[in-house]
Amino acid sequence: MSEKELLKGNIAIAKAALNCGCTCYFGYPITPQTEIGEYLSQKMQEKNLAYVCAESEIAAINMALGAASTGAKVMTSSSSCAVSLMQEAISYACSDELPIVVVNVMRAGPGQGYIFPSQGDYNQATIGGGNGDYHTIVLSPSNVQECIDLTYKAFHLAQKYRNPVILLADGLLGQMAEPAELTENPYPQIDNSSWRLDGANSRPSRNIHSLEPNQTKLNQHIINLYKKYELIEQNECDYEEYLCQDAQVIFVAFGSLSRHVKSVCNHYRKNGIKAGLFRPKSLYPFPYKKLNELSRKTPIFIDVEMNMGQMLKDIRLAILSNAKISFIGKPTGNWLREEEIINAADNIIKEYYASI
Amino acid sequence: MQVYSAPKAIKENSDFTFCPGCDHGIAIKIIAHLIDELNLKENTVAIASSGCSVFLYNFLDIDCLESPHGRACAVATGVKRAHKAQGNNKFVFTYQGDGDFASIGLAESMHSALRGENITAICINNTNYGMTGGQLGPTTAMGQVTTTSQNGRNKEYHGFPIRTAEQIALCEGTSFSARVALYDIKNIINAKNIIKKAFEYQNQGLGFSFVEILSSCPTNWKLSPKDSHEKIKNELTQIFPLGIFKDIKND
Ligand SMILES: Cc1ncc(C[n+]2csc(CCOP(=O)(O)OP(=O)(O)O)c2C)c(N)n1
Ligand code: SF4
Ligand SMILES: [Mg+2]
Repeated sequence: MSEKELLKGNIAIAKAALNCGCTCYFGYPITPQTEIGEYLSQKMQEKNLAYVCAESEIAAINMALGAASTGAKVMTSSSSCAVSLMQEAISYACSDELPIVVVNVMRAGPGQGYIFPSQGDYNQATIGGGNGDYHTIVLSPSNVQECIDLTYKAFHLAQKYRNPVILLADGLLGQMAEPAELTENPYPQIDNSSWRLDGANSRPSRNIHSLEPNQTKLNQHIINLYKKYELIEQNECDYEEYLCQDAQVIFVAFGSLSRHVKSVCNHYRKNGIKAGLFRPKSLYPFPYKKLNELSRKTPIFIDVEMNMGQMLKDIRLAILSNAKISFIGKPTGNWLREEEIINAADNIIKEYYASI
Repeated sequence: MQVYSAPKAIKENSDFTFCPGCDHGIAIKIIAHLIDELNLKENTVAIASSGCSVFLYNFLDIDCLESPHGRACAVATGVKRAHKAQGNNKFVFTYQGDGDFASIGLAESMHSALRGENITAICINNTNYGMTGGQLGPTTAMGQVTTTSQNGRNKEYHGFPIRTAEQIALCEGTSFSARVALYDIKNIINAKNIIKKAFEYQNQGLGFSFVEILSSCPTNWKLSPKDSHEKIKNELTQIFPLGIFKDIKND
């Protein structure tokens, strides 16, 4: 067992990737995630692994696409506006059923925005910015330890479902250091000998492509993809419930911001209001069912995000129509502080009780 | 005595999906013969690109991966490097159109050459975007009529075409860069020898090897197959001269 060490989120992701057998990394610099590439450039060269300082994010994700076809564990990392450039190839990878881990350490947008922290890519990640019927799995870490744990999980799910997985972190998490333990990768190796491209040696040749001029076949292919997504939705919903069981009010938040919201819950509990936090760790698949169950007992839900409320629509879909839902958030800048959240939430809670 | 047989690397019963008289078929057959001759079938991953070239995997009985439009050299880089990281040296080549290689994918193509990526790129130059119906592309000749240059390419509106093989020859990581044509038997035999050399340079680990093939597109040129070959012989080779522009062994 290794011990806890002081780690930045970006470095934790890079170390975890190496530790679970990632042999290929392709990337192009962009703040606030550049340390991932810097760290791996050195380590991968030392180990004779594949590292390319790509000429663009378009090249990086396409190198990842090629590398994934060999069955290798493959990662690229980037941020927001540059992840936008990767969307075409992500759509291809979904159709090709190729496992790629894409790390997005979010910054503020739209456009270049700035390197301020933000959670503005919830929609881009969960809905997808590419064309056609597809889904990518999206995992959201809230602390440096989870940067490690969910990186392991991202590689595992990518291989298990042969699908791209997005690890959606944010600039704050990428840049902050806290104690974390580089645990062993808990997941088993997945056999890919039935599909990888490594030369037609003692077996029929294979090809991997998204183009399909036969309409019936293309339809069937997409229907098959959706059967897989159904399985993912059944099996892979991941969330944290904090004091939700008896809650009068449930906050919903994801990523590192959820830690402030946890403190807000503690504040309310001390003051006699039963508050809880529901934190989706998988943003796709979104844990609709669990949130729906909670809305049978809890009348108020407050969505807290560092964006203009991108997760609201998923919460609305999940909770029963008689539950009240409100939003606290802003697009960027310093993470919402506890007092700011409490001030806004006090009004929401007061208004609700005045209205019944 | 058997004087001719189809290459083993060609799939049995594959239908010819190119237009009649199109040189894509000859180019793919040359590649298939070379895969046989150099014994590459069991160790190769080919990258097909967007364009008429995409159907490569319908003909070649080898592992093939399709690339998004223009990204074939980046995809090939990933395949080659990933296998290397796993301790395997695979033979990796791309099969791309001129639009794919030299327009939308120019950055990926040129940077692969600059990195000296140990892959081979084959570029079918038919002086237009064939698959989408013959629009002006990066290699469309001055004066050439296409659906988006209906009065002919002119420098004020469209600027100038690229001589791809010459440009790739300028990259330090390039081991070999040449242009060939397929308009008669002599040129077909020469093309095969040239492509063979490009393949061998990859096998010898010498870096990026590149062959541009002047290729007919009778459908979009609105010429018969025979007249298309005449056009290549008489006009296109004047603009895009045949030859070897870089050979690391002779430089
Ligand atoms: C990103 C993107 N843009 C446009 C297209 C449409 N498209 C498909 S093939 C092609 C042109 C191909 O031309 P070229 O590479 O010269 O190949 P050819 O068909 O002439 O052999 C275009 C524009 C596409 N598939 N993807
Ligand atoms: S459009 Fe041109 S390049 Fe494409 S198959 Fe037809 S003749 Fe060949
Ligand atoms: Mg073309």
